[in-house]
Amino acid sequence: MKKNKSLLWLFALILVLSAFLAACGGDDSGSSSDDADKKEETETETEAEGTTEGEPQAGGTLVYGIDAPPEGLFSSAFYGIATDFEVIDLYDEPLITYNENLEPIPNVASWETEDNKVFTFTFKEGVKWHNGEELTVNDWLFALETIANKDYDGPRYTNVQTIEGAEAFRNGEADTISGIEVVSDYEIKITFDQARVNNLTNLWVYALPESVMGDVPVAEMSGSEWVRSTPIGIGPFKIENIVAGESVELSKNEDYWNGDVNLDKIVVRVIDNSSVVGALQNGDVDMLSLQPVSGPEVEPLENVEIITYPGLSYYYVGFKLGKFDNDSQTIVEENPKYQDKQLRQAMMYALNRQEWVDAFFFGYANVVNAPVPSSHWNAADNSELNTYEYDPEKAKTLLDEAGYVDQNGDGFREDPNGDEFIVKFSHYATGNPTFESRAQAITQYFEEVGLQSELEMVEVNLYYDMIEKDDPAIETFFGGWGTGADPDPSGLWKADQLWNYPRYNNPEADKLLDDALDIEVVGTDQAKRAELYIEWQKIVNEDLPMLYIAELEEIVALNNRVGGVEYDVSGQNNPAEWFVTE
Amino acid sequence: MLKYTIKRLLGTIPMLILISIVVFSLAKLMPGDSLSGEIDPLNTNPEYIEEMREKLGYNEPLPVQYFNWITGFVQGDFGKSTKYKTDVFDIIMEKVPNTLLLGVISLIITYILAFSMGMYSGRRPYTIGDNAIAGINYIMLAIPSFVAAVVAIYFFSFHLNWFPFGGSVDILIEKGSFEYYLSKLHHVLLPALVLGAMGTASYTQFLRNDIIENSRKDFVRTARAKGTPIRKIYNVHILRNSIIPLVTFLGFDFAALIGGAIITESIFTYPGIGMLFLDSVTSRDYPTLMALTMLLSFLTLAGNLIADLLYGVVDPRIRLD
Repeated sequence: MKKNKSLLWLFALILVLSAFLAACGGDDSGSSSDDADKKEETETETEAEGTTEGEPQAGGTLVYGIDAPPEGLFSSAFYGIATDFEVIDLYDEPLITYNENLEPIPNVASWETEDNKVFTFTFKEGVKWHNGEELTVNDWLFALETIANKDYDGPRYTNVQTIEGAEAFRNGEADTISGIEVVSDYEIKITFDQARVNNLTNLWVYALPESVMGDVPVAEMSGSEWVRSTPIGIGPFKIENIVAGESVELSKNEDYWNGDVNLDKIVVRVIDNSSVVGALQNGDVDMLSLQPVSGPEVEPLENVEIITYPGLSYYYVGFKLGKFDNDSQTIVEENPKYQDKQLRQAMMYALNRQEWVDAFFFGYANVVNAPVPSSHWNAADNSELNTYEYDPEKAKTLLDEAGYVDQNGDGFREDPNGDEFIVKFSHYATGNPTFESRAQAITQYFEEVGLQSELEMVEVNLYYDMIEKDDPAIETFFGGWGTGADPDPSGLWKADQLWNYPRYNNPEADKLLDDALDIEVVGTDQAKRAELYIEWQKIVNEDLPMLYIAELEEIVALNNRVGGVEYDVSGQNNPAEWFVTE
Repeated sequence: MLKYTIKRLLGTIPMLILISIVVFSLAKLMPGDSLSGEIDPLNTNPEYIEEMREKLGYNEPLPVQYFNWITGFVQGDFGKSTKYKTDVFDIIMEKVPNTLLLGVISLIITYILAFSMGMYSGRRPYTIGDNAIAGINYIMLAIPSFVAAVVAIYFFSFHLNWFPFGGSVDILIEKGSFEYYLSKLHHVLLPALVLGAMGTASYTQFLRNDIIENSRKDFVRTARAKGTPIRKIYNVHILRNSIIPLVTFLGFDFAALIGGAIITESIFTYPGIGMLFLDSVTSRDYPTLMALTMLLSFLTLAGNLIADLLYGVVDPRIRLD
């Protein structure tokens, strides 16, 4: 009896407690849930007035959503995934940034060069780290030396190795990087190992706070508090508090060097994809990058605006045309199956890319005809390329011409020798259920023109491993690449590159890429470079070592109370300009 | 009993060694490694990836890798996470409090629900109420947790605004204050409710069946003949006997407390061991993955041992020698 009673008590207590908590939750997030109400009010007001952008307003808290838990490597030099970088982008700034044409422009540092080999950088004075120390060129030198240190465990060495003497420093043959010369606290001279047109875009342009990290051994830096719990930067917001794996609180940097900061606080919060729509609708999150699949659900929300801007990634269907030997860095063997250019072109005509993109990316992607995202300055205009409009009849004619005809009457074409011909198409599999249907759709396009196709879904980790090692099981494959500010495609396309997955081998095309980087040929004339790149795109557009499918758009959902946010292809504008209307 | 305990403890050693081999081989058999996700021309280049593989020892023969790992492991060095670039031990310790809180609260919810339902069903078997409880229990068991979690979030968080939809605490609240702990509790309740309510079936049905069985036993008849009130017979005499088999579950619960709930934690973005485990699998973070699996295997073994010892405590008829 007594036992039962106490049990009852416990039960009652829990009930009371949860009721209490629920009630107090209402109050407690008082600020936030009240905010939501207020938001709605302002919304209707602004709608009534017919304006969407108010005047910048000081104060307020903005909730910024990210869709995956950060790894917690909050340091420009050490981060590995995009979500960590989204946080870094709020509290730190590069010394040099990019404009909407992806051309470098001065931020904290401006530069001068005569020969594209020696650069002199001048820093603005009075820029302060969040701990009050002044930013000087020594902090940049410190960052470069950290990255070039042999104990450094991040992936950025490629952005430092072109500096003269970086290799020797890394191998322990020198105590300093010989190509870096500190002139004064605000002036630094960097010499590269050779003159290149893209030396500047390739260079690492974030500083690290030497005042706090200077004593930490490089091997321990990525685990240190200055990366994980109390990182500092020079940006408009400073990190106040981090709850590992779920949220980050940032507050206004009063001493920000570049104008006033509007917001008091930014709270970065991880939001699972399944909660995105509800959180946006309730105003629990103000700003968030969306997956294309959430777009149609978010669009009808009245309190949320969707903004798209051009992205820098493209999807393709690649052909394995050869085998690569990583030791000699050459393509050693040719695969005969897809060597016929007419076959590849026929397959391109067979794809209804627009329909496919609309079905699987909900209109948040554009069909491309060459492997350079269209917002790059060196992208070829579609008028200069073959756009391969969907034309199954033409595909059939091309296949007939190339000798791929149905000889045994089974409804599918055989290869010119009369042997059975099956297009084996591979796609990576993750938890995403749409991948299989979108891959299936591609094989159906092939089958419609009489090419028998077979789809294989491969677990994503294994997938890229197999592609990289030229596993014979991979014949045609789905893939995607992102490109950075530097539009040079050499690393993904030249015959001596491991990541040239199709094993495309065309010396003429490689020569164009080399020339476009060769300062002897192009000097510093961007128009001349663009010409060479366009020439190159014409070749790969004709050769089709891969079928270019689409470039993605970046999609951002913004609550109507947020203002001052702008995007271009280089990313978001300075968070200092963001504001919220209450 | 001491002898028995020592015997069992010694027995776990070869078991753990075997498990470690299996865990290691399975981890290494998974395609790809922690670096295959990093293929990205923006950030890195093939040379870096090759260099890191060398640095991390992925190019050594497997037995050597196993030996390197296990020697560190037995000395308490779990290694450095390849994803988080810091000590695995620190990462696990960072997540344990969250998971423990979630585990304990959900277990309490399970117990309360299961006990009340089980006792009701056991007392009135084959009535409508009993069948309804069984039906509900099996439906809950059958609903996948991700569906339950999403529905719960939609209904309780977005619709009713009772609970937050994710996270473990409101970051704006000052750490250590009373509101801070209240906020933690507030955040944990919804995932705990989902977890707790979904796991009642086995407890309820075990308890029910045992109560029914015991109610037909001689000692019950005797008690009734003596005129003991029915309530007392059920709540004291029968219940005490019926709890014994439930002790078996306690052993499993022990590991589950730490093991967390992979799916539920992910959907609620509740940073605990479950989410860490899922992350370490998808990103091939071997050191974390293996440390967690070893930890969970150890806890399961320990849980079983504790359950066996508890048998002896709750039921003096069982002698462990």
